[in-house]
Amino acid sequence: MELRPILSAMLRNKTGAILVGLQIALTLAVVANAVFIIMQRVEKIGRPPGIDSDNLFFVQSYGFGPNYDHRDTIRRDLDLIRSLPGVVSASSINGIPLSGGGSATNLGASAVREKQTINTNYYTVDEHGIESLGVKLLEGRNFTEQEVQYNPDASGPQTTPFVIITKDTARALFGDEPAIGKTIWGGADQTSVVVGIMDNMLGAWVGWDKLTQVMLMPRIQAGPLARYVVRAEPGRRDALMAEVEQKLSGSNPHRAINYVRSHTQIKERSYRADSRMVAFLSVLIGLMISVTALGIVGLASFHVNVRRKQIGTRRAVGARRVDIIRYFMVENWLLTTGGIVAGSVLAFAFGQWLSSAYSLPRLPPSYVVGGVIVLWVLGQLAAFLPARRAAAIPPAVATRTV
Amino acid sequence: MLAYYFRIALKSLRRNPMLTALMIGSIAVGVGVCITTLTVYRLMSGNPVAHRNDVLYAVTLDSWDPNSPWRDEHPERPPPELTYRDAETLYRSDIPDRKVMMRKAAFVVEAPPKSGVAPFLVEGRTTTKDFFAMFDVPFQYGAGWDQAADDTSQMVVVLSKKTNDKAFGGANSVGQTVRLDGHDFKVVGVLGEWAPTPKFYDMNNGQFDEIEELYVPYGIGTQFEMQSAGNTNCWRDQQINNFQDFLNSDCVWIQFWVELRDSSKRAAFQDFIDNFVREQKSLGRYERPLNNHLQQPDEWLKVNEAVQDDNRVLVGLSFMFLAVCLLNMIGLLLAKFLGAAPLVGLRRALGASKSAIFRQHLVEVGVIGLGGGLLGIALAALGLFGVRHVYENYNELTRLDFTMVLAAIGIAVLSGLLAGFYPTWRVCRVQPAAHLKTQ
Repeated sequence: MELRPILSAMLRNKTGAILVGLQIALTLAVVANAVFIIMQRVEKIGRPPGIDSDNLFFVQSYGFGPNYDHRDTIRRDLDLIRSLPGVVSASSINGIPLSGGGSATNLGASAVREKQTINTNYYTVDEHGIESLGVKLLEGRNFTEQEVQYNPDASGPQTTPFVIITKDTARALFGDEPAIGKTIWGGADQTSVVVGIMDNMLGAWVGWDKLTQVMLMPRIQAGPLARYVVRAEPGRRDALMAEVEQKLSGSNPHRAINYVRSHTQIKERSYRADSRMVAFLSVLIGLMISVTALGIVGLASFHVNVRRKQIGTRRAVGARRVDIIRYFMVENWLLTTGGIVAGSVLAFAFGQWLSSAYSLPRLPPSYVVGGVIVLWVLGQLAAFLPARRAAAIPPAVATRTV
Repeated sequence: MLAYYFRIALKSLRRNPMLTALMIGSIAVGVGVCITTLTVYRLMSGNPVAHRNDVLYAVTLDSWDPNSPWRDEHPERPPPELTYRDAETLYRSDIPDRKVMMRKAAFVVEAPPKSGVAPFLVEGRTTTKDFFAMFDVPFQYGAGWDQAADDTSQMVVVLSKKTNDKAFGGANSVGQTVRLDGHDFKVVGVLGEWAPTPKFYDMNNGQFDEIEELYVPYGIGTQFEMQSAGNTNCWRDQQINNFQDFLNSDCVWIQFWVELRDSSKRAAFQDFIDNFVREQKSLGRYERPLNNHLQQPDEWLKVNEAVQDDNRVLVGLSFMFLAVCLLNMIGLLLAKFLGAAPLVGLRRALGASKSAIFRQHLVEVGVIGLGGGLLGIALAALGLFGVRHVYENYNELTRLDFTMVLAAIGIAVLSGLLAGFYPTWRVCRVQPAAHLKTQ
């Protein structure tokens, strides 16, 4: 292979080669890290929520004035919602999973609570809570209607006698021991017995590292605020949302229906910062690859134009078309490879800096390897068009002057 | 002469339209991306009360759990809010020139029956009177309330422009009544357009949220036993059985700011809060080391991480992208200029001086930079249009302003010249003789 003449031609134009190499190196460094960030965010957004997210919607009502009866309002609202065709189940609930807002409390596995507590995101529901959220009960039992207490004072977290906790909460509290029937301590002198273990569901705050530590308590909170979770049959959610909003609004003059919102919409809002980052970075990567590819095409085309006479001469003395194409492809391959070597180092250095400055995970080598392959292919593709044009230069060019 | 160079430049640019388009496009996307991320960054890192930065202070006390700090990753930071009890005590100090304690609360608004507007829920703020003066809040109609209204928790209300538009159709509603949670409140003021971004005065409840939709005296929240509509953070095991228990608890949920117009007052108030905490320590509270802060808005915004890491990473990546675009352009320019070396040789032989060649090529580079800058502004506008779709709340603010347009042109021309300098220098060194031989 004619590496030597290609190399010496490149050395004659060192600056040009270095510029392309640097460009490829920077592209590799940015693309590898950006793709890595994107993948982390995509993974985060795609975590299974553990609840029947697609078919859920939430309603918030806010009572006012002296004639507002909170307990009665909740009872009548839920009766009305449950009677609508297409509703699988509905429950009162104090917060909304993955909404960014919620309540948490510290729980301990023993009365000696110093430093042995875990933070748990809790939801107060009624006996329909499990079914309405669509979370799977793994062990134990659901709450009964009698266990659901109406809490006359809404201030402050207090535990209920019975609770259902997620798998991860049980593991955090009791390790591998069975948790059913065990007592947990929350707040001073307040104990609860675990009656059920449910599959993991995601709690309120998308950025929280203990997102699967969730607990359900059988309670209806007092206060002006009432929230409901409604689970619809597949495909009927949107129609039901409109129907529920309209029926509830007209049913009680002492409150305002604050919103009726699908869980899809709530979830999307919470992940917006992440989806935004994905969108931004994708555009950036797209532009960067296009600019680099177009740059290679432009530069190669230009070189072809400048070397028309030289190419013609080579053809005249017996070089085949494929030799000309190969010349340009190999030249490009050498440039790209030089850039890639520098780029790999740069990518890891950049990844290292990102992970230390912004406490992100370290860049795995696979992303750099992926980037290397993409740039090799891209470089060859970008060089192919000009190379083919070069091959089309007739040998007769050699005999012409200018 | 400049006009002549300009004509040559255009002619030269027209000779390789593909290459020219690539170079201008390259600068344009680089500038467009940078200006887009910079605009967002600037928006998030802005200080909406910069003009009062010297006198305003956010007050924080470290009342948190002796066993674990407020933020594990930043153990030096106290919680951003105070307990109800502590806020009440600090508010009694007469050292500050002005002071405000406040928190969020939700209200149902009933518009006058004749308006036909259904009752609606709004986010409100209960606050002491100095809120408006301290933060330089603009009024469309009327004004805030006075000390007497604070002292006796009078039912007076200041509406945001949005609420007034909704309930009163934007008319001057001062003197009218609105029903809030079933009680009649007298409107004393209506705010003008106000969108402090980030929402510096309450950084623990949505840093980029809109302002509250109405404002009532602080005491109203206590009198009506209204729960906080913002975050409430607690750490101590305390029996909370009623609202009074909650007020007495060590939960933090009250924002507290002071205005201190000179350094002696600042020192005096720092002493005051430190002494207060020492006194509390002797009563068994405040078990963490003494860690009380008076922070000016710019420091406050920094500590509370208003500029998210994401945005910083994006700005960094954008500039790396611009670097790639520039490298791209240098490569193309170099190839192009050196490709035209025979022509330069000819012109040199005909008597053009080196400096003339230099200036002529620099003009060409400048034209490319300017073209890239203008196109870059268009691309940035397009980029921000996209940004408005993925951000909410501050649509109006993510627009290109005059500074950013200037910055765009500046970055483009500067980077164009920077990128063009080396190729231009190279082409000036062309030896006329070397290129004349083959002609």
